[in-house]
Amino acid sequence: MGSATSKMAASSSAGRVLTLCKQFQNVFRISSATNARQGAVSSAKCQTSLLREKSPIVTPSWSNPISSPGQYRALHTTISRRGLEEFFDSPENWGEANVKSGAPWTAKQLRTKSNEDLHKLWYVLLKEKNMLLTLEQEAKRQRVQMPSPERLRKVERSMIRLETVAKERESALRLLQTGQEKGRPGAWRRNIFGYVYWYRFKEYAIPWYMNRRYKRKRFYTPKFVEPHIRLRIENYLRERARNENLKKRRLTKLQERFPQIKAPAS
Amino acid sequence: CAYLLRYPLYQLGNPQLRIFRPSWFLTLVRPGKEQPQDTVQFRIPMEMTKYDIKNYLEKIYNVPVGVVRTRIQFGSNKKRNHLNQKVKQPDYKVAYVQLALGQTFTFPDIFPEKERAPAEGSMEEMQEKFMEDEKQRQKLDPRRGGVTEWFGL
Repeated sequence: MGSATSKMAASSSAGRVLTLCKQFQNVFRISSATNARQGAVSSAKCQTSLLREKSPIVTPSWSNPISSPGQYRALHTTISRRGLEEFFDSPENWGEANVKSGAPWTAKQLRTKSNEDLHKLWYVLLKEKNMLLTLEQEAKRQRVQMPSPERLRKVERSMIRLETVAKERESALRLLQTGQEKGRPGAWRRNIFGYVYWYRFKEYAIPWYMNRRYKRKRFYTPKFVEPHIRLRIENYLRERARNENLKKRRLTKLQERFPQIKAPAS
Repeated sequence: CAYLLRYPLYQLGNPQLRIFRPSWFLTLVRPGKEQPQDTVQFRIPMEMTKYDIKNYLEKIYNVPVGVVRTRIQFGSNKKRNHLNQKVKQPDYKVAYVQLALGQTFTFPDIFPEKERAPAEGSMEEMQEKFMEDEKQRQKLDPRRGGVTEWFGL
């Protein structure tokens, strides 16, 4: 604990002063608690680095009595005050029935943003989603309705759209630079049951002919599976014919009952 | 995205693995059992490891993390629905994170009781008025001084 605090102290001169005079630690703690509180309340965009320089070295909780109840925040004592607090909403919204929120990001809006902005936005959305998930779980625990649950859906949709925009850009770059369409190489392969599917390659440390588990996988259909495949095809054709007949019969019945009906174009 | 992802095989000398846009979400939960002051409890996706949580909290949330311990909670498969089919509650992983540098964390009260005056002309105001009128009607005559209707003429 001593070595950690001394390392942190090396970065700020205020810290060096504090470690020298322990009896002034209480005074500094209270004053900086007020500073940090004002900093947190003023704007959501204040830099954590700034706060870190202002606030002192953290003292363990047992040596921090509730000297001034007005300034004591019952959450936690940290250097960067915006650590675990970001898992919760701003305290003004605690206990509200409805919390206002804007519309989700659209793909069109996201395409206008730079890559750096998108990267930052992803983490903003991630933190927001974490906060909403903690709120949801706590609401379930306290058996209370979660205020405005549509925020979760909005954040999820924004994240999906961000992902698609980022993937578009990545694939465009890849096509231009290397000519590859897919990021991960693969091939069309037939498995034992006769199904053809897109097999995506996996990285191995050894070649395939030395990989016993891979060789047991068999990317071909044996001869004795073919009658079963034929039966499967017959079943599929039978079901398709049945569905089409059903549709035709329904239409003819409707036509009988309501002769003025026009057959829908299908 | 973290799903459908196959991380490149690591061999000595390979570059450090970096994940852009992680799609892992943590849920801070109130601990069921009493936990020490520096322990924070999370529900995390199954694919995350102790190192993942440490890096996640340190890099994204700037929280100094000491030790992380994880366990997998089995979701019950015992309950049955009206068709007598077993209903499975999903499994989840729980992480107990101990904060470094002697920090403490207590789970706050997120749903405090607030004095809420209903908005003018809204449904809630009309409902509350109606309820008050009904209660007033149910009360006995104040001139009887708290005596019930059972006595008397």
